[in-house]
Amino acid sequence: MKISFPYMGTVVIYKKLLELLGHEVIVPPRPSQKTIDLGVKHSPEFACFPFKVIMGSYIEACEMGADTIVTSGGHGPCRAGFYGEIHKRVLKNLGYDTEVIIIDSFNRNRKKVMENIMKLKGNNSWLKLSKAVKFTYDMIQEIDKFDKKIREIKPYEVKPGSVDRAWEKIQKEFDNAYSKRELKKAVKRSNEIINSLEISRIDERDRIRIGIVGEIYVVMESSINMEIEKVLGELGCEVERGHYLSEWVDFNLVPSFLKKSHEEEIIKKGEKYIEIIIGGHAKQTVGGIVDFKDRGFDGIIHLMPFACLPELVTQSIIPKISKEHDIPILSLSIDEQTGKANNLTRIEAFIDLIRNKKLNKYSA
Amino acid sequence: MVKAYVGIDVGSVSTNIVALDENYEVLFNYYARTNGQPLDAIKAGLEKLKKELGNNINISGVGTTGSGRQLAGVMVGADVIKNEITAHAVATTHYVPDVRTIFEIGGQDSKIILIKDQMVIDFAMNTVCAAGTGSFLDHQAERLGVPIEKFGELALTSTNDVRIAGRCTVFAESDMIAKQQYGFSKADIIKGLCKALVRNYINNLGRGKKLEPPFVFQGGVAANVGIKAAFEEEVGHEVIVPKYHNVMGAIGVALLAKEEVEKKKGRTNFRGFNSLQTDFVPSSFICTGCSNNCEVIKVEMNGTPIAMWGDRCGMWKEKVKRAI
Repeated sequence: MKISFPYMGTVVIYKKLLELLGHEVIVPPRPSQKTIDLGVKHSPEFACFPFKVIMGSYIEACEMGADTIVTSGGHGPCRAGFYGEIHKRVLKNLGYDTEVIIIDSFNRNRKKVMENIMKLKGNNSWLKLSKAVKFTYDMIQEIDKFDKKIREIKPYEVKPGSVDRAWEKIQKEFDNAYSKRELKKAVKRSNEIINSLEISRIDERDRIRIGIVGEIYVVMESSINMEIEKVLGELGCEVERGHYLSEWVDFNLVPSFLKKSHEEEIIKKGEKYIEIIIGGHAKQTVGGIVDFKDRGFDGIIHLMPFACLPELVTQSIIPKISKEHDIPILSLSIDEQTGKANNLTRIEAFIDLIRNKKLNKYSA
Repeated sequence: MVKAYVGIDVGSVSTNIVALDENYEVLFNYYARTNGQPLDAIKAGLEKLKKELGNNINISGVGTTGSGRQLAGVMVGADVIKNEITAHAVATTHYVPDVRTIFEIGGQDSKIILIKDQMVIDFAMNTVCAAGTGSFLDHQAERLGVPIEKFGELALTSTNDVRIAGRCTVFAESDMIAKQQYGFSKADIIKGLCKALVRNYINNLGRGKKLEPPFVFQGGVAANVGIKAAFEEEVGHEVIVPKYHNVMGAIGVALLAKEEVEKKKGRTNFRGFNSLQTDFVPSSFICTGCSNNCEVIKVEMNGTPIAMWGDRCGMWKEKVKRAI
């Protein structure tokens, strides 16, 4: 089996798990203009942006010889739940005989998940499978710690671009780790890389921290969200996302009796605003805003794919949350448009607003 | 010689330049079409400034804003490069210190800015659709054969209420044609259009926001008394149009430049009027470093690159930054 997967965030992880199970893995290229063009061309016009980018990624993977694609299912009534099926059909119409394995939340459909796991397990022993899973699980936790760290120090880098280059190096370190010992070494090396960076810290009170919430794909995949974390970093803001792979795994794949996930907490915080599951990450978005505020963040950027229904619902609740919790929130729609000047203007003005608000608080 | 602070607002439709003196009086104000040639527009504006006031003023600070702010900033050597939302808010709070709501309608976009205690507390900006902007009015004025300058006055003469769809330019246009066939007068239709534009603007940008007086209306479209009247009707309150309503962005960034230079103890980065003779060559190339194939924009001054942008990875941007 030549396996591929959708490109989202730190892809080292999916690659690692599949490799440890002895599969030949095809990593699709990081989404580029070509990916988007391919995806837009072969997707239904009304589909949301993540669908189109992922479609493009799949086509690129198939061109590279992938015969199987593993992906996750959607949440609840959002149309994303159906996307795996449609992707499969489009690929078939294009003449690719690709199997698409859709893994839904373990906490929702155990039987189907088990069936799919059996497919991936192949001839591996259960022991080997559980070892591989445990190893990648540990790895995601470590990588995400560094991911957060990087975004925390980016605004204070002395040499422009040095932190971004460090992050590339760190991902490579993890990519080369295949055993527990190597993982430990990767962590150690990554710490060294971080410590060797030249950083000029500022006064604690001047720090500006921004939380990014919204639909998971546009939040996690920097190549399609204008590299928003980097943009904010260059404007002097520390950034933390509302989605990390490790948290997604805890919430969706780890049986709930084993571990209580961070995401459950988040959802509880937003329960007041959206009671029922309306699909996508609407509940996580509203909960995430409250959580960031509770943790002392200064502002929220809400990313949504253009015309994403769950996030449109969230967007209409946002003014209320913003008022009740006294936190500025900026919603941005992401679509295939390449010019980022407009959004940049909004982001800059938003940061000015936050900075003024902060300064005023201290002088008052 | 008086100290002067210059603000340059390079928008998609117009390029505005102002010069303020130490006491914030407007010494010079220039409003011209950009015509897709921002560099030429800035040069022409600065030439005029030099001709009119060049011997009497000493330029002590320069700021740029608008969608062309990066390019303009590099060209003149700006002390501050600011987004237009902040710039507008700064200028308005200067003239109307207790302002709470700013309506700004420009050629290609429109903004709403909410202010409390002279600080921006919320804003929204519309660029997805042209229905609520100056371009839409321009286009319709042309269709009806009414000069845009006369548009507003004509609207005020109407006594009829004609409802025109404001959600979308295409629908508005077919509505307008239908109403024309029914025999409504030009004045009635134009009034209907003004109201449609305001309705669209409020629905689009004011959604979920509490709009409180004092209201200030600025931007190129603020010259249109028909729209001003429609705004007053919609919000049920007087709407103030400041004297320099069409160059507020430039004024705001001139004020910011003054602040910035004073912070730096009086040194400006302004390249001087002589820089107008300098050869600025913007060019672009497709970077083939990865499959993104970004269109990278490069500005060269006398043959050396002084700014680059447009690359998603930031490789070129950093290269120039490090070289300077």
